[in-house]
Amino acid sequence: MTIPGDPSDLRLPAETLLAEPAPEDEFLPVEEGVDPIKRGPSSQFADIRRRFKRNKLAMIGLAVVGLLIILAIVGPLIAPYDPYEQNLLNTLQAPSADHLLGTDELGRDLFSGMLYGLGLALMVGIGVMLGSLFLGLLLGAIAGYLGGATDSVIMRITDIFLAFPYLIGAIILIRTLDPGRQSIFPVVFALILLAWPTTGRLMRGQVLATREAEYVEAARSIGAGGPRIVLRHILPNSVAPVLVYAFTGIGVAIVSMAGLSFLGVGVPPDTPEWGRMISQGFKFFTVPGSSYLWVFPSIAIVITTLAFAFVADGLRDSLDPKLR
Amino acid sequence: MEDIGLDASAPLLEIDDLRVHFKTDRGVVKAVDGVSWSIAEGETMAIVGESGSGKSVSAMTILGLIQSPPAVFPTGDIRLRGRSLMKMPEKDQRKLRGREIAMIFQDPLTALNPVFKVGDQIAEMVRNHQKVSRIVAKRRALDLLGEVGIPNPAVRLNQYPHEFSGGMRQRAMIAMALSNDPQVLLADEPTTALDVTVQAQIMALLEKLQEDRNTAIVLITHDLGVVASHADRINVMYAGRIVESGTTDEIFYQPRHAYTFGLLASLARMDHRRQERLMPIKGQPPSLANVPKGCAFHPRCVFATDKCKAAIPPLEPVAGIGHVAACVHSDRVAVAYEERVAT
Amino acid sequence: MGKFVIRRVAQAILVIITAMLLIFLALFALGDPFASSGDKTVPPDTQAALRAKFGLDKPLPVQFLVYLKNMFTGDFGIDFDQRRQVSDMLSQAIPATVRLTVVAILLDILIGVLAGIIAAVWRYSFWDVLVTLLTTFAIGIPVFVIGLSLRANVSGELFFPTVPRSAFGDQPFWLIEVLLPAFTLAVADAAFVARLMRGSMLEVLRADYIRTARAKGLSERTVIGKHALRNSIIPVVTYLGIGIGALLGGAIITETIFQYPGVGLLLYKSILNNNNPVIMAITAFGVIVFVAISLMIDILYAYLDPRIRLS
Repeated sequence: MTIPGDPSDLRLPAETLLAEPAPEDEFLPVEEGVDPIKRGPSSQFADIRRRFKRNKLAMIGLAVVGLLIILAIVGPLIAPYDPYEQNLLNTLQAPSADHLLGTDELGRDLFSGMLYGLGLALMVGIGVMLGSLFLGLLLGAIAGYLGGATDSVIMRITDIFLAFPYLIGAIILIRTLDPGRQSIFPVVFALILLAWPTTGRLMRGQVLATREAEYVEAARSIGAGGPRIVLRHILPNSVAPVLVYAFTGIGVAIVSMAGLSFLGVGVPPDTPEWGRMISQGFKFFTVPGSSYLWVFPSIAIVITTLAFAFVADGLRDSLDPKLR
Repeated sequence: MEDIGLDASAPLLEIDDLRVHFKTDRGVVKAVDGVSWSIAEGETMAIVGESGSGKSVSAMTILGLIQSPPAVFPTGDIRLRGRSLMKMPEKDQRKLRGREIAMIFQDPLTALNPVFKVGDQIAEMVRNHQKVSRIVAKRRALDLLGEVGIPNPAVRLNQYPHEFSGGMRQRAMIAMALSNDPQVLLADEPTTALDVTVQAQIMALLEKLQEDRNTAIVLITHDLGVVASHADRINVMYAGRIVESGTTDEIFYQPRHAYTFGLLASLARMDHRRQERLMPIKGQPPSLANVPKGCAFHPRCVFATDKCKAAIPPLEPVAGIGHVAACVHSDRVAVAYEERVAT
Repeated sequence: MGKFVIRRVAQAILVIITAMLLIFLALFALGDPFASSGDKTVPPDTQAALRAKFGLDKPLPVQFLVYLKNMFTGDFGIDFDQRRQVSDMLSQAIPATVRLTVVAILLDILIGVLAGIIAAVWRYSFWDVLVTLLTTFAIGIPVFVIGLSLRANVSGELFFPTVPRSAFGDQPFWLIEVLLPAFTLAVADAAFVARLMRGSMLEVLRADYIRTARAKGLSERTVIGKHALRNSIIPVVTYLGIGIGALLGGAIITETIFQYPGVGLLLYKSILNNNNPVIMAITAFGVIVFVAISLMIDILYAYLDPRIRLS
């Protein structure tokens, strides 16, 4: 027999009308033969996976992300040309059998460039995500759990980082760290520094909310100590929205890096990076038939960003269906 | 009343064979399946039942708050003084809502808009139905807050719902509902979300206001304790149907339906001998998409026989006039109840 | 409400000063910001003038104070490139960017909020499907892609001049010049706003107090336009506070694409030319504006949602 008035499977505006709350003296039915205690965290993961699989967009996104990762790994192996190799006799060639996506103004093969650019983008995106996640989770949890002065200090620090409009802050940081534009690591570093405050705040909010939750009090009352409480009870319940946000951060990081390179800040010149390719390619837009130069990398960015965004959305919906 | 064509001689509010079905992907949910009752001026009628019995849905249908594409109304009508509410155009229905018929809800915290001041929300109710200025409406709100027993009404008028306590919020909701002197007040679980002592205060308040204004109150609840001291008549609902109906005394002292018996037997009673065992009803109420055949209660019923599965028992008179029950074995229920309370 | 405002303003000032400190450290403490770098040689007298103005021979803390004073009196020194007063350059560029951002925000809110409301109120209808589909894809398209596509396709001189007409000063048709870049900025963000608004509105429409509002006999227009809107717009306002940052950043890109004579284009050019005084000035300006706007949004939020004034 089903739970009385359970509206979650009705999927209609009417569902709220039928959702008369159960009075406290009503017990949920226990399925015959199933020990409710044994149905622990492992089946929670199964639930999450199941919900994720049902989300078609998320699955498509996941497939595309997987494809992109594979392409990025084998890219350098299958690229027909060295993306740095210039061939001044062959500039601005439209796509052909020789050069699948054409060549740019210095004769470099666009296809190879884009493959390398994919690897770059993914590395930066995932790197930024991991870095900001790590910093954010750590500092956010500390701030949230310890409270008091530690909390205030950490909050002020995030305030300051958040005071810089994203791109402007990135520009300053990168110029400081790497005025000569020697490598891409300053970019990653700068983006991490600008991204962690938001994950940090989210985590802190979550920790604050769960810290006061009743099950934590229950745990304390049976003698569980500080770090144990944090690890076993607070953390698992706080992490979900932070994880979702971090995932969307991958797309944001990729786009931000592209934007920075577009402006000429960040990656060293001539790096096969989508943003830079778009910026340089666009300079020729008055030349008829040359729009492939900037259109192809643009499409690449859009597809990549969308794929990660769909996965992030799916993650959010499956981690907490009430959130939709 | 004149402008919407009401007939002063017809019963104040009556529901006639109402059915409210929802089309869902799990089948048809029969939230309300053939319910009829009526209420007169100044009366307090209780509708009692567990969650999922359809009691709230029937009340909301009266006010037209059930959205019609997922819901269909295969049969039935609702009449206010003879005029059909279900056939009325939306424009006219809106004129009645909050004026002739008002409703208060279970959780006053979520039922009040958190971003507007309480006084403004009450004043809005007044201005929506009476052509008065803002100042007059505000003063009326102030008076109402005082009438429902909120201390310091002038200060409270300008506060927000989250600054009120639970009991005060419910009083404010009552003030809002009664601001236009409605003839019928639908109270959907008005005390369930409150502490026990506050519950008593709120019910007392409702009674006093009812005396002053002669309002009819439809009290929807699952709490038999509240019903015992405040209702004149009771309709017991189960799985979308009324299974027993009578005066409060009749229901409490001469239950004739197995479900009513079960409800009463699971209560601790002050007026019975001390050592009877509490008997909870085994099982759970059915999903309204999958109501058992025949008498909906039969799977959980200790008196059930094959006859109960065969057909839906009709409501038939059992003891006093106006006391009806839909149970094939009402005589056996009577005997069992006598045995239980015999000293 | 008053105490809340004062507290927030004090916080904001503290943040600004600390941010300035960071900028200062970034540019000054790590070396001489006015030396020649890259292939641009700065004439020695300009270098000397700037060094003197910013007191580079004095100890660091004094430098910081001098720097602060300069920033707040608007005296940013002389730029490397054309040897004009940086404040002059800014005073021309700032109004242009302000026009751009204001129009962009208005368009953003208009399109986003309306689309979100329509999608939520008429859920499952054609409009809802359209909005949901469009926004799902639009959020993946970066600002510069939108800008470039627009520019490539619509840059007929006749209707949307993309060449700056700064030589003509303030022309009557500034709206036309602003329209494309503002539209680019707006579209990029409106997709987020629309989704947020839709989600928020959907949730609010399910709330008990909406049911109460209908039970009061209020017209559907009042229920949605007053009760639902006031509640559902709160997350959107919060988002806009963060979104402004993205908007400012996006302005840099958009102005560059459309060669729109605002602060963003100025920043772009100064990066190319390694024009440190300008970069410094613009960054400081950007921070102050951003913090100020965030502050205003916070206050607006507290006004809209009385529950948070207690925090």
